Order: sequence, then C-alpha cells, then structure tokens
Amino acid sequence: MIGYIAEQLFIGVATGAIYAIIAVGLNLIFGTMNVLNMAHGSALMIGSFGVLLFNYVGDRYFGYTNFWLACVCGLIMAFFTGLLVERLAVRPMKGNWWNTKIATIGMAFILENLVTVLTEGRPQLYPRPFEPTYYVILGDLDNPGLWLVEISNIHILLIGMSIVMVAGMVWFLYRTTTGKAVRVVSQSQEIARCIGIDVKRSIVVGFGVSATLAGVAGILNGVTFGSTYSFIGLQLLLKGIVVLIVAGIGNMRGCLWVGIMLGIIESMSVAFGESTYRDFFSYGGMVLILIWRPWGIFGEEGRVTREV
Amino acid sequence: MSDANDTILKVEDLEVRYGNVVAASEISLEVRKGEIVALLGPNGAGKTSVLKAIMGLIKPSKGTVEYTDEKGTRRIDGVETHMMARMGIANIPSLETVLPRMSVEENLEVGGRFLFKSDMPRVRKRMETMLERFPILAERRKQLSGTLSGGEQRQLAVARGLMAEPKFMLLDEPSLGLAPILLRELFEMLRDIKNDLGVDMLIVEQNVNKALEIADRAYVMRIGAIDFHGPAKEVAQSERLKDAYLGS
Repeated sequence: MIGYIAEQLFIGVATGAIYAIIAVGLNLIFGTMNVLNMAHGSALMIGSFGVLLFNYVGDRYFGYTNFWLACVCGLIMAFFTGLLVERLAVRPMKGNWWNTKIATIGMAFILENLVTVLTEGRPQLYPRPFEPTYYVILGDLDNPGLWLVEISNIHILLIGMSIVMVAGMVWFLYRTTTGKAVRVVSQSQEIARCIGIDVKRSIVVGFGVSATLAGVAGILNGVTFGSTYSFIGLQLLLKGIVVLIVAGIGNMRGCLWVGIMLGIIESMSVAFGESTYRDFFSYGGMVLILIWRPWGIFGEEGRVTREV
Repeated sequence: MSDANDTILKVEDLEVRYGNVVAASEISLEVRKGEIVALLGPNGAGKTSVLKAIMGLIKPSKGTVEYTDEKGTRRIDGVETHMMARMGIANIPSLETVLPRMSVEENLEVGGRFLFKSDMPRVRKRMETMLERFPILAERRKQLSGTLSGGEQRQLAVARGLMAEPKFMLLDEPSLGLAPILLRELFEMLRDIKNDLGVDMLIVEQNVNKALEIADRAYVMRIGAIDFHGPAKEVAQSERLKDAYLGS
C-alpha cells in the first residue's frame, strides 16, 4: 500500500513537473507581452511530433534513429513554431489583448488540425531514451510487504528536467542581459526603448524561449505516457493555465510548486478515487484557491491581470 | 550668446498628428551646448507630443530633427528610440517612471547595461557614483522601486537616465504629481546635474515658475504651435506668457 502511494506520488511529481514547464513558458509571454498565448500548446505538440518526424525520416531513408538528436529536432521545430505564432498572430495585432487571444486560438487550431490530417488523427507511439528501470529505494524486493517503494529512471529524468528548466529560466531572466531585457519590456515598453532595448527583438526572443520550453514539455509528456496525439497541446495548455493563474502571474518559482502540487492532487485522486475524478479535483481546487486569493498563491496582491 | 555651431538638437517644422487631429505643427526649436531649455505651455498645448516625436516614440508626420555630437550632425527623425539611447540621448518619461518590480539597484543597472554590454565594471562604477549623488536611493538600494515615494521614483528615473552617461537629456514633466515641497529640490538637482556632469536638457514642463528658474531659454506653446520664445528671464516677465495660460 505504501509502495503504491509512493509510486503514485512520483508519477504526480513527474506529471506536475510537465505542467510547471508549460506554465513557466506561458508566464514568460504573459509577463512580457501581457498576452495569454493560446497557441502555446501548439508549440508543445509540434515539439513532441518533431521527435517522431526525425525518427520517421531517419528510419525510412537512412535506417538511423537517435532519441537525443530527435529531441534537438523537436526543440528546433518548437522554437520556430513560437516565432511563427509571434509573427502571424501576435505582432500584427499591435498589442490588442482580445484580438491577440483570438488570433492565437486560431493558430492553435490551424496547427493542430494540420497535424491531425497528417497523422490521420491516430495517437502515435512515443520512443523512450532508455527502457524504464525501477530502483528500490525503500524495503526489500524479495520480501515486498507493506514498505516497498520503487522509482523509475524515467521519473527521475522528468523531475530532474523540470528543476533544471525552472532554474534555467530564473537564471536566464535574472542574470543574463537578454533575460533582463525581457523583464524590463514586461514592466514598461516605453522605458525599455528609452534605455536602449530593442523591444521587437526582445519579444521575438521571449516567444522563441517560451516555445522551446513548450517543446521540452511536449517531449517529456510523450516519454511519460508512451504516446502523443495531435490535440495534446490544447489539453495540456489548460493545465498550464491553471498552474499559471493559481501560482500568480509573473512568478516562476511559484509555477514549479503549483505545477507539482497539481500533479500530486491528480495522481492522488486517481489513486484513491477513480480517474474520472481527476479533473474535478484539479479544477475545483483552482476555483477554491482563486476565491481565497484572486491574485494567486505566489502572485502580488492586486495584480490579477493588468488589463482585460 | 553662442553661435549656431553649438547646436545640439535642432527641430525644424515638426508636425505631429493623431489620425486627422493635428497635435502640434510648425514646431521649430533648438538646444545649444550648455543649455537647459524649457518647453512650456498649458495642458493640451502639445508639448508632450513634440517630445515624444523627438524621441521617436511617435512618428512625426512632417519636419526634421537633427542631433549633433562629437561624431557630427545627423538626422534622428525616423531613428528608433533604442538607437537614440545608444547615441547618448537619455529620455525620462513622466508617467511610467520606474520599473516597479525591480530593486533600486537593478533599475540603475539596466540603465547602463544595454548600452555598455560587455563592460559591467563600468556599469557598476557608474551605479556607485549615482548612489553617491542620490543618497536617498543609496538608503533604499535593495528595495523594490515600486514601493518608493513619488519624489524618490522621480529621482530614480533621472539617475537611471544618467547611467547611460548621456550628453543630452529629455525630460517629460518632471514635476508631475510631486508635492510642492519637493519641487525646489528636484529642480535644483537638475541644475546641479547640468553643471556637474555637463548634460544639456530639454524639459517639458507645466510648472512655469520652477522651470524658468533653472532654464536658460524657453519656448512657450499654445494650441499646438510655438507662441513665442526667448531667454528665460524675458519669458518670465512676458505678458504673453500669462496670455498663453489664461487665454485672451
């Protein structure tokens, strides 16, 4: 029993880590542009399919596949999806909040339907970097009993990646010149211009980085569940938005904690109830938290959004 | 006074439009080396529009702006604002003065960081100089700038502008929203900056008396055009100044 709960806990932390990475990417764009990028899930989906594309082409024409090179290919495709979304659905809207939102939703459906057509709507099997191996961290395998706790190397990879991603994001935003530019733009585009920042370039960089993070989430999700499909982006985008809003807009570390919390709540509701209760608990929890603190758990009081 | 070769900023026949509405037209003015020039006028006269057009934050529909430094004279209308910052022109906006979610120190740091990218020691040294010049900012150096008082935020905005080691500074209504008791301090600070650091200024201001106390020359705007201009002392005594504000 303890072992079962512990295993569900690891799964929860690992999937929560994926939600956290999605939310961190959304956070970056919401912070810089004051835009909720509804096409964020498309970059995620393209990233996850980029891996499949690389392996498909490699296998078919060169008889060669490599998981890690495929990941690089997926991330590059996700990066360019971000630039495409910025160019077609964000920049032409000239900062109009509603138009941008609708245009990015449009982009999301165009890209996801395109992939649906290409894959004939079938879920695709996902490659793994290595076969999952389970390590016993508590108890005795020969004498399982109540206390056997195991963790797989896949889960360790997922949890490690999310910590690295969030830490990397914080480092990028607070330590590098480009990251600082992104933060200045998020607070005032006018001041940004006046102190020598190329605002257009900063926004493009922001979208590129955000979409690459989405690609990472897409690949990790494929690895975790062993498959992916064309509408995975929309489903995970909603979870990312929940994490972003509950954590509080503008807070990167908050996204990590809330993402993992959401993952644990979900896996526990599956462990003790039925899988159909999963979304009931996660979205219900969001509503309760927002009634308590409308600006999010880690957000600044009074800063719900700057503009609606 | 000084000859034309000393001109730093020369604006000729500038026109600013918002759609069909003309906010300002036939604006010609110049700032010479060693000067503080005030651009005065009542609310809605078009002062801020002129300043924003000079800075490239809005595109003028007509006219030219020329800037002169040691590298010579060149046209800067149509040049992007961030490139002007790199030429040594600092701009201090009036409404959004500071970056509220950054500390005082980080506000100063970003004032120099994007101009002297590879030279962080220079940025840090300049920051220390600024903190010496503005002791109140030194006291609050770790505080988020959004929590500073209005007067402190205004000081921080000026200090951030100076981080760029500018030759020339444009200030948009520095007195806006400040308590009268802080005004004297603020304008004295601006005069000291000009004298100590050799930064020439164009100040857009509604508070005529304070601006004329430190300005060398002044232009007075009225309903989208320059009504008259002259040395600050003459403008201060002019009947036309009263007319511009009270209407006649």
